Amino acid sequence: MGAVNTAVSIQNLSFSYEKKLVLHEASADIEAFRLTVILGKNGSGKSTLLRIIAGLLPYKHGNINVAGTELKQMSLHHRARTFGFLGQKHKAVFPFTVEQVVLTGRAGFINFVPEKKDYELADKALQKVNILELKNRIYTELSGGEQQLVMIARVLAQEPQILLLDEPTTHLDFNNQITFMKLLKEFTFNKLTVIAVLHDPNMAFLYGDDFLFVKEGKLIRPKATVNPWDTEFLQSVYGHNLQAIPHANRALIVPDLQQEIQHD
Amino acid sequence: MKNTKLLAIVLYSLPIPVILMSLFTGPSEMASTSSIFAYFKDFLISGTAGKAIDFQTIQAILFEVRLPRILLAFLVGGALSVSGNSLQAIFRNPLVSPYVLGLSSGAAFGAALALAWAFIPVQLSAFLFGLLAVAFSYFAARKHKSLSIVSLILSGVIVTGIFTALLTVVQFLSDPFKLQSIVHWTMGNLHNASWKLFNASAFPVLAGLIILFMMRWRLNVLALGDEEALTSGINPVRNKLIVLVAATLASSAAVSVAGIIGLYGLIVPHMVRMMVGPDNRQSTLLNFLFGGMFLLIIDDFSRTIAGFEIPVGVITMLIGAPFFLYLMKKTNIGWEQ
Repeated sequence: MGAVNTAVSIQNLSFSYEKKLVLHEASADIEAFRLTVILGKNGSGKSTLLRIIAGLLPYKHGNINVAGTELKQMSLHHRARTFGFLGQKHKAVFPFTVEQVVLTGRAGFINFVPEKKDYELADKALQKVNILELKNRIYTELSGGEQQLVMIARVLAQEPQILLLDEPTTHLDFNNQITFMKLLKEFTFNKLTVIAVLHDPNMAFLYGDDFLFVKEGKLIRPKATVNPWDTEFLQSVYGHNLQAIPHANRALIVPDLQQEIQHD
Repeated sequence: MKNTKLLAIVLYSLPIPVILMSLFTGPSEMASTSSIFAYFKDFLISGTAGKAIDFQTIQAILFEVRLPRILLAFLVGGALSVSGNSLQAIFRNPLVSPYVLGLSSGAAFGAALALAWAFIPVQLSAFLFGLLAVAFSYFAARKHKSLSIVSLILSGVIVTGIFTALLTVVQFLSDPFKLQSIVHWTMGNLHNASWKLFNASAFPVLAGLIILFMMRWRLNVLALGDEEALTSGINPVRNKLIVLVAATLASSAAVSVAGIIGLYGLIVPHMVRMMVGPDNRQSTLLNFLFGGMFLLIIDDFSRTIAGFEIPVGVITMLIGAPFFLYLMKKTNIGWEQ
């Protein structure tokens, strides 16, 4: 394996909205060039964590270290070069073409208007997600799946080192979810670090490399001796009786119906 | 795509003939196209200036009356259109106009105040109160360094209400003659145009427009959303403030010399978007050219169609209102974000 290459190091991070404490002294190291999935219940703070890393929420307590620099000390520019962020679903208002949308990913590096290099990078990004043929189409007229691919191309045009994705597959159909997850996996082979919040543990276990769970304000991982899909561990996170069904060296997680019924 | 390019070329080249045409449009018989041609014909044939017409008067009509009015109409139309377009982009709502933050009612109050008690020039007062109204809306809506568009619109509604109430007080207290000029001002018209007014408004209008022109591509980024802008390296709060200040500067100066030209800054950006698409990099300049030209044409009508002048603001409102309703029905874009 060689030395572990840490992309993002989180230490004792605490965060609260008004008075509600969401993260409490959370710590974790996220490895570079891997697909790290953040899992947890709704409202556990997994999106909050991602948005803090993306610079959308300012944090006061704790440290986030990225390649030797504290996140707080990074300029907007530096951040744009390091992180690319994709939210759940983007609501477009104006009927921009796909190319115009993707170009806006270059915003941090453009003074007044985009130049030749920016157009080239936009093309390259569209190629990477295999939708170059959509270039001149109107974004608002595309399907939800296509729109999400355009938005990921937009983030790629920014040329970040780390991708942060907040439930990117939530609004996609089954087919597009698979396309999307495969794409994320592919990115990690091309020297990109991908950190994604997913609410479906199965999609996570099928495609993810590392798994980070948010529970009661802490970041936890299963013990080194057990798999991430260890039912006992997952039950402690999700609070339901679960069953792991082995599949391709990994496992799928389903509710344990018999146990559930007995409990009722 | 090709059609759009062709249309853009037409739009770029059209203002000059429209300006020339407007120069020879007006109630005065003496300065009509035919009499000026006749003058030059006489001059060429006989080598002496024609006797039939008085060159001095023509010159005065063309360059002291019509030209400043033409340029002022163009400047005002262009300023309202570019400002409207920029604000629609940053508010991410196509039904927004420069008046949404209380600018028009602030300016109307300022003008009324100066008309009633003449302490400072009317235009200056209108300009300052327009700025004041927008600033008031902005700071009322600002909370914890962040700015929600919905609260900005709502505080705009409140500020408009306050200034409209104050305007009513001024109207109530002023004598009938002053009241008449106040009402006339709020209708929006260009018949006071002069080089003096043009010179006074040109600087703030152009300063605002130049800033908006430099921001033209960035408007595309801001139109996508705050999170998208911030994570791609642009500070949305600061950039939106720059656009807001520039748009307010330009449109407040326009309103101060022309009164309230209703719905204009809302409608023209739509027309331009229908013609060339939503890319602000292209549409910012075209909004200026088309917006300027269109108001100039409306003003030509307003000064020739009847024996008396119909205020431009009335015409734009009457054209604009049905168009606005049509847009509201057609584009199902409301306030959901």
